[in-house]
Amino acid sequence: MLDKLKSVGERLPLPDTKKFEGIRTKEERFAFLMILPSILFLLFIFTFPLLYLISLSTYRIEMSRPWVNAWVGLQNYVYMFGDARFWNSIKITFIYTTSTVILQVSIGLLLALVLSGKLAGKIRDYLRMGILLPIILAPVVIGLAFRTLLLTPKYGLIDYLVTLLGFGSQSWLGNPTLALISVIVIHTWQWTPFAFLVFLAALAALPIEVYEAALIDRATAWQQFRYITLPLIRPSIVIVVILRIMVSIRAFAAIFSATGGGPGTTTEILNLFAYRTSFTSLSLGYGAALATTLLLITSFISFLLFRIRNTS
Amino acid sequence: MAKTKQKKFMETTKIFFRYVLLLIAIFIWVIPVIWVVVTSLKTRADIFTIPPTIVFKPTLENYKTALSFLGILSSIKNSLIIAIVTTFLTLLLAVPAGYAYSRLQFRFKKTLSFYTLFTQMAPQIGLLIPFFIILTKLRLFDTYFSLIVIHLTITVPVSVWLMITYFQDLPREIEEAALVDGASRFTTFFRIMLPQVYGGMAVVGILSFIESWNEFLFASILTGRTVRTVPVALFSFLTTEESLWGPFAATGVMITAPVIIVAFLAQKQIIRGLTFGAIK
Repeated sequence: MLDKLKSVGERLPLPDTKKFEGIRTKEERFAFLMILPSILFLLFIFTFPLLYLISLSTYRIEMSRPWVNAWVGLQNYVYMFGDARFWNSIKITFIYTTSTVILQVSIGLLLALVLSGKLAGKIRDYLRMGILLPIILAPVVIGLAFRTLLLTPKYGLIDYLVTLLGFGSQSWLGNPTLALISVIVIHTWQWTPFAFLVFLAALAALPIEVYEAALIDRATAWQQFRYITLPLIRPSIVIVVILRIMVSIRAFAAIFSATGGGPGTTTEILNLFAYRTSFTSLSLGYGAALATTLLLITSFISFLLFRIRNTS
Repeated sequence: MAKTKQKKFMETTKIFFRYVLLLIAIFIWVIPVIWVVVTSLKTRADIFTIPPTIVFKPTLENYKTALSFLGILSSIKNSLIIAIVTTFLTLLLAVPAGYAYSRLQFRFKKTLSFYTLFTQMAPQIGLLIPFFIILTKLRLFDTYFSLIVIHLTITVPVSVWLMITYFQDLPREIEEAALVDGASRFTTFFRIMLPQVYGGMAVVGILSFIESWNEFLFASILTGRTVRTVPVALFSFLTTEESLWGPFAATGVMITAPVIIVAFLAQKQIIRGLTFGAIK
């Protein structure tokens, strides 16, 4: 592999002297040696399995009834487009992703704006420490803690507090609408701190001179935010949105442990539908078709978002 | 005079609201975590009292129950082995690559670095299905090896990108001086550059460890009785007829405590690592 790359390099005409050419080739050889392990690894462990996944999606693979296994071409996809559960999962994925991302970004930005730079150092340290907690907790622990200690009717802390406020005890994870709201809140709870920390860092990096000039010009707080802060931190907002969409659309552990996709399929995002199809119903072929669809969606979105990022 | 007074009043109200918001934020994000800790110290009777009790006699009974629960200790051992080896291999793969992408000139650099970034975008379920079939065929199901390899798919791409940013922050002078003095490329990398990014490597290591330690999707399918990890084992407390909230909370605390301690010791560096790139 390396020799091949090298010989390609030697055939290319290089503009500089022969000596320079030698150094360049050496640097390049060293560079390839340094990246080779990671690239080989990624080829072997990403590209190959993903190609295999696409090929699997053209088979019928029923682990509970192996005798029906066969190559079926695009039949899984044809079935998928007629499958109401698939369209439901697309709808849930859309609701889940957009609402969690919007909530994370707006709450994170609001908190960062109010709390940035104006608190005593000690308090800010404690705040950052406390707010880092949800990010490093295992999503499974969070999902299960919400399902049991926090949201269980009567005994859960949140249910108790809501009852105190006079809304009465609710079946948080048993009612279809409330279950969807609950998993959205759980995701928002875990990941808003991330957006908050990014925005806090972005705000801290803003040049103070601009604000001084704005003060002299008697800009109102809103004008300052609208015409100075917002344009300056727009790149951070765009990146947070990109990163959070990618995480949200592939969310799994917290939803799985809180509701398992239920009640019924009311919190079943596409990711979870593919998982349940593959490993609960044991239809790996159809599961592979669903996973391939998710792969296409995420690739398309990341492509789109990177285009937006590069143009803005 | 009246105007300054009014201004002062406005200032005070502003500060007051700021602290109220701060309190609400802390309440929302810290109370649920504390509640898990509190529950882990309660007896079963105290857990199921209405209204929830705040004053109670703490007990370590749940921790004893959790540890004596079938397979929890060995799950902790499994998780430790997998997370430590994953962390080590992640650094081994990502640090040299990060150095090359940030400091060296070579063809296909853009394509290859973009490829590395792109792998991060692949949904994990898309890897789980082929891996499940391949590992079953190879009889590597339920082994440390398979879980470590698949955890590397989560940690390597992002770690390469993190290492790139850490290498980019270093001044070029020392590196160039070493090369001019006749040090080989490898010596320069290993002796001169590497010691300067130990901090970055620590962050990459800690984040990789946390990823692997917390990982659930792959582990839920690819581990059986032999290498079951803690996140999977946690489920066993709640699937039984009577929900074992106390032991569940105790286990949650036990598996989170080491992560929290490490994270707090390196808090600033970790926040920088988590939010990297987003502010550049």
